[in-house]
Amino acid sequence: MIRTELKRGTAELAILSVLENGPLHGYEIGRRIEQQSGGALHYTLAALYPLLYRMENRGWLHAEWGTGQNGKRRRSYRLLPRGRKMLKPMRAEWADLFRALRRVAKVTHA
Amino acid sequence: MPDWRAYVRDRLGSLSGSRAAEEGDDVARELSAHLEEFHAALLANGTPEAEAFSQTCARAGNWQELRREIISAKQEGTMRDRIRQIWLPGLITFMASYFVLCLLQRVGARPLYSHPGEPVGVIFYLPWLFLLPLVGAIAGYLSRRAQGDGWRVYLASCVPVLALGALFLVLFPVSFIVDKQVPLQTKVTTLVALMAGWVVLPGIALCTGVALQGLRKRQPIRRR
Repeated sequence: MIRTELKRGTAELAILSVLENGPLHGYEIGRRIEQQSGGALHYTLAALYPLLYRMENRGWLHAEWGTGQNGKRRRSYRLLPRGRKMLKPMRAEWADLFRALRRVAKVTHA
Repeated sequence: MPDWRAYVRDRLGSLSGSRAAEEGDDVARELSAHLEEFHAALLANGTPEAEAFSQTCARAGNWQELRREIISAKQEGTMRDRIRQIWLPGLITFMASYFVLCLLQRVGARPLYSHPGEPVGVIFYLPWLFLLPLVGAIAGYLSRRAQGDGWRVYLASCVPVLALGALFLVLFPVSFIVDKQVPLQTKVTTLVALMAGWVVLPGIALCTGVALQGLRKRQPIRRR
């Protein structure tokens, strides 16, 4: 079980990564992250939405209302070039962190 | 099926802060849609109704924290938007418009007077007025590029004249202390003339530029 504080730090990278393949609405972003992380990462609304709004403000994401497959109105988020540009350094930063943790705390892949 | 919209509204309450309050309905709609889908997915997977409801409520997290974080995120956006949509283009317009005026004065542009020989009257720098729409268009472009909407774009372009207008209005009461011997009528006429020549006419010119820039159709960006 990953603690909330730890998960929070991962949210930006997780959101940008799942949006890399196309626009998604909030629920779908959360679902993909949970699915792709094997259930290890799941965010509450309190963790997910304020972050989405912040990323939108920074010009990383663009949000717009549309109609979903079930005919209901959904706000979907699309990755903007500025957000895409953030992915590479963010991935490198996390890779550095994991390498450092491996050295210090003997953290290994499962 | 629970009314997730009402559930979210009850817990989220009204969001304070100008932008958060404006978008409160959208936020509630978005969050309730999330909970609705989450709840529906649990039910579809065979989770009993009571359990699905309790898991969905837990998925929301701490409502006070959510409310606080949303207001903070929206306010952060408001500040950033104001800077990018109003203050930055406004500052550039301010510098550009008076730089153009100084340049014209340097090359010998002469002002025109509505009442030549009279102590008060409206002063026109015609070449400046003709160039100001271009400056206004630049402000319009910068503000719109930062997703500025109607009034913000016009406000950004009018920063130079609004600053000057504010200065005149501040100095007007001061003139009652400094120039006691000047009659009130002359002071008022001078203020009106200054406002017309340095605020209203340049303001119209700047806004014309913004309007013309807005008419220009956006060209599709060519990707390599």
